[in-house]
Amino acid sequence: MKIWKRKKRIVVGSKEKSVSPEQTTSKESDVEKETAKNPSPEQTPLKKSNSEDATSDKSNSEEAIAKKSSSEQTTSKKPSQKQITSKEPSSEHTTLKLPSPKQATLKLPSPTRKSPMRLTLKNIPLESIKSELTDIDDAIFKEFQTKQGLVTIVYFSSLIESLLLHKTVVTPLVNDAEKAFETFDNIEQRNMQVILSSISNGDTILYYHEKQKFVKAKTYSPPQRAITSSENESTVIGPQDAFTESLATNLSLIKRRIQQPGLKNKDQTIGKETNTKISVLYIDHIVNNENLKLINERLDKLTYEGFFDITILKQLIEDNPYSVFPQFLLTSKPDAAVQFLLDGRIVIAMENSQSVLVLPVSFFEMFTSTEDFYNRWTTTSLLRTIRFLGFFITIMLTPLYISVLSYHSGVLPFELLIIIQESRSKVPFPPVIEVLFIELVIEVLREAGSRMPTKIGQTIGIVGGIVIGTAAVEAGLVSNILIVLVAISALLSFSLPNFLMSNASRVIRYIFILAAGLFGLLGQFIAFAWLFNHLLNLTSLGSPYMTPVIPRAWSDMYNSIIRFPLSFIKKRSRLSRSKQVKKASK
Amino acid sequence: MDVKKKKVLNSYHVVFLVQNIMIGMGLLSLNHTLSAVGYGQWWFPLLFGVVANITLIPMIWISLQYQDDDLFDIHEKLLGKWIGKLINTLLIVYAVIIFAAVIQKYLDLIQVSVLSDRTIMGHLIIFLLLAIFIIKGGIKSLARFCILTFFVTGWMVYYLKWGIADGEITHLLPLFNFNKLEFFDAFKNGYTAMVGYELIMVYFPYIIKPYKAFKHATIGIWNTIFFYISVTFVGTMYFSEWQLEHLLFPVLKLFQAVDLSFIEQIDTFALTIWVFLMLTTVGGYLWMAKKGMDSVRNKNSQFHIYVAAVLVFIVINLPFPMFLAKLYETIFLISFGVILWPILLIAIHSVRKMKKGVVR
Repeated sequence: MKIWKRKKRIVVGSKEKSVSPEQTTSKESDVEKETAKNPSPEQTPLKKSNSEDATSDKSNSEEAIAKKSSSEQTTSKKPSQKQITSKEPSSEHTTLKLPSPKQATLKLPSPTRKSPMRLTLKNIPLESIKSELTDIDDAIFKEFQTKQGLVTIVYFSSLIESLLLHKTVVTPLVNDAEKAFETFDNIEQRNMQVILSSISNGDTILYYHEKQKFVKAKTYSPPQRAITSSENESTVIGPQDAFTESLATNLSLIKRRIQQPGLKNKDQTIGKETNTKISVLYIDHIVNNENLKLINERLDKLTYEGFFDITILKQLIEDNPYSVFPQFLLTSKPDAAVQFLLDGRIVIAMENSQSVLVLPVSFFEMFTSTEDFYNRWTTTSLLRTIRFLGFFITIMLTPLYISVLSYHSGVLPFELLIIIQESRSKVPFPPVIEVLFIELVIEVLREAGSRMPTKIGQTIGIVGGIVIGTAAVEAGLVSNILIVLVAISALLSFSLPNFLMSNASRVIRYIFILAAGLFGLLGQFIAFAWLFNHLLNLTSLGSPYMTPVIPRAWSDMYNSIIRFPLSFIKKRSRLSRSKQVKKASK
Repeated sequence: MDVKKKKVLNSYHVVFLVQNIMIGMGLLSLNHTLSAVGYGQWWFPLLFGVVANITLIPMIWISLQYQDDDLFDIHEKLLGKWIGKLINTLLIVYAVIIFAAVIQKYLDLIQVSVLSDRTIMGHLIIFLLLAIFIIKGGIKSLARFCILTFFVTGWMVYYLKWGIADGEITHLLPLFNFNKLEFFDAFKNGYTAMVGYELIMVYFPYIIKPYKAFKHATIGIWNTIFFYISVTFVGTMYFSEWQLEHLLFPVLKLFQAVDLSFIEQIDTFALTIWVFLMLTTVGGYLWMAKKGMDSVRNKNSQFHIYVAAVLVFIVINLPFPMFLAKLYETIFLISFGVILWPILLIAIHSVRKMKKGVVR
């Protein structure tokens, strides 16, 4: 019966076509009703060539793929189409009689249809998908004979755990194919590109031969690392779990801490080649809409090739990419991310990245850690003071050594000066060279230590300790006092909780060293003025980086270098400009 | 983002801008410049404060009449295009020369006391670059820098403690032991330390709350007076009259009195940290020169900052040391004229207004 009905339509259509092939596209109404699609792309292939077969009618973007597939399609069809269009409609009957009965009935109607768009839904042949997936050896095509006829499933075996596939796809399919067909997701825009991209996203595609329909099952289950404690941001108190490289895991780590529908996560795909998934998280009734708009604009503008870690994204969307300082915060601890979310910040998580991005943040927040809220307020205040002063000491200490010894020896009390001079009496270099030498050695040690396999890493510590600690001093290359100073400043630079900030502090130190070498204390303070001016002009997502110092916000002062007891912190930070400034604090 | 908005200066920005543009080289030699009146000098800053506050009134008043215009625009509106532009050009020259005077004085001092075996060329270039760097961020960048400067340098007041301990409190009396000539001499020399608040006429259109500007500027002025009076107070106690007269930079000597176990010669630190105060002072004038050029050439351009800086560089390197010394001395007298200038503007303004009224 079905076949007959179709035949009728074909006849009607072909008649119309014989009258005026171009006009018909706008006319046919019953055909279009079934699949509402815009007619504009369909007209072009008609005009171009009279041979429209099943695949050539895809929207413009897919034409490239379509061409390929159409050429490989059943060879029997093409000549027939040409015949139809060039000759009289009567010739079409000959085409209907053509090859193997099953295929012919299903495929043949297509050439004569006036609405090619309609055909896209059903008639992407499996062969064309197969041809697209050639040379991908983990692309699996499996056929199952079910009550609904032949069903082929297509998936990438490397992205899908076989047990899961068996549970979620194969078993239901074999047991009750009809029900399975209903429960699986329809592919809404049924074109080649969508199907291919969902296959490469780890979905399983099911093709019902009889219905000529595709459905997909979400089966993405790549091998994953377990949730472990963070190695880079270790804390003593507080939850120990850290983000992993899986976006889904990371989202669940956050979502199980904020259990309310106000927490939104908007998914997006970025990266021209990698198609990396990111998720923008925020709490709807707290976040500032302007911030949200700003970050969405920046994300939309991105046209970068590939993202392997969120740090790449960070560098691309930062306010000032030339600056030494990180303007967004990276954290691998879910509790930190949640803490920022509650303050009205935006968090961006990325697939394959084991840390998330927090924005906007201030300079001062680079010196805070989540542990600050788990400790007593007194302890926290002490630690924060040490970290904050540590930053300035670490950039000023060795330069001070240079400028005092090179230019202002009168600054030191006589006894101290004698001690220093004695210790560097053997050293043949000027202080700048001495400091640069030892700082570079420390830097090399650190770099070697972090690049080496962990088993050999210990050796580095011992070698470094002996070489620098004793041998260099005994050889008269550097002075004892300088070793102490360099060690202190190196330690202080590592005491910062934020790794990127501690990196920045080390880079800046070299600027200070050079400035001190050139102009002594004056140079140091000029560099200092430069640093402050730079910091003052930095913004993080359009908000001043130096908050709460400038612009001042008194409410923020309760949670700055001195962290007051929790009940004092009654407002969210000014930086986040959140919709609800006051927060429950008792 | 801040550069594009017109109104950028909050109340505290105004306070610190006024204060930090004023404090500069003047403070270092304040005791010396006031030495004509001897021990009676310590209350002079109070007098200066009152005078500054009074002279502030016409500035704010005329600016309030033209809320969206700076001094340069007011000139063009009041005096016509060509005379206005001429006076604006003179103001640019004024700003450039004050810049040069301040910076040269400071760098010479640095050369004498801190970096004795260097010419000033290297520091000068770096200093100018840094000033350009600050001003490129606009007036708000300078205002923020002023706030930070206050916190970076303000604590040095503490070092005056040793001066008090070593000083002699009886020096403070009598208060009026000087004659008229000495008074005018001290006033003329000492008031140069107050120069800087006249810049409010230039950045007035950027103030968010113009009607409160007078209050905030007053707070700024009296903050300055606090620092000045603490220095003159301690200086009077610590120094003899002979020292006051012959020490060029008595504040540094005051810092030398500081007695700490781990460090000596605090004055070296003080003098080098002073670079912050110099940058704010100089930055204000650089910005003024930039704005002047903007108005004379009728277009806003960051390029003008560089031009101003190059002009300063040229002025400092002019091969006429005697002429320059004279120039630097007179420029501060001219600055008194600039401070009083708004009174004339008000007169012109009211005359024009009356004429308009008659015509109507």
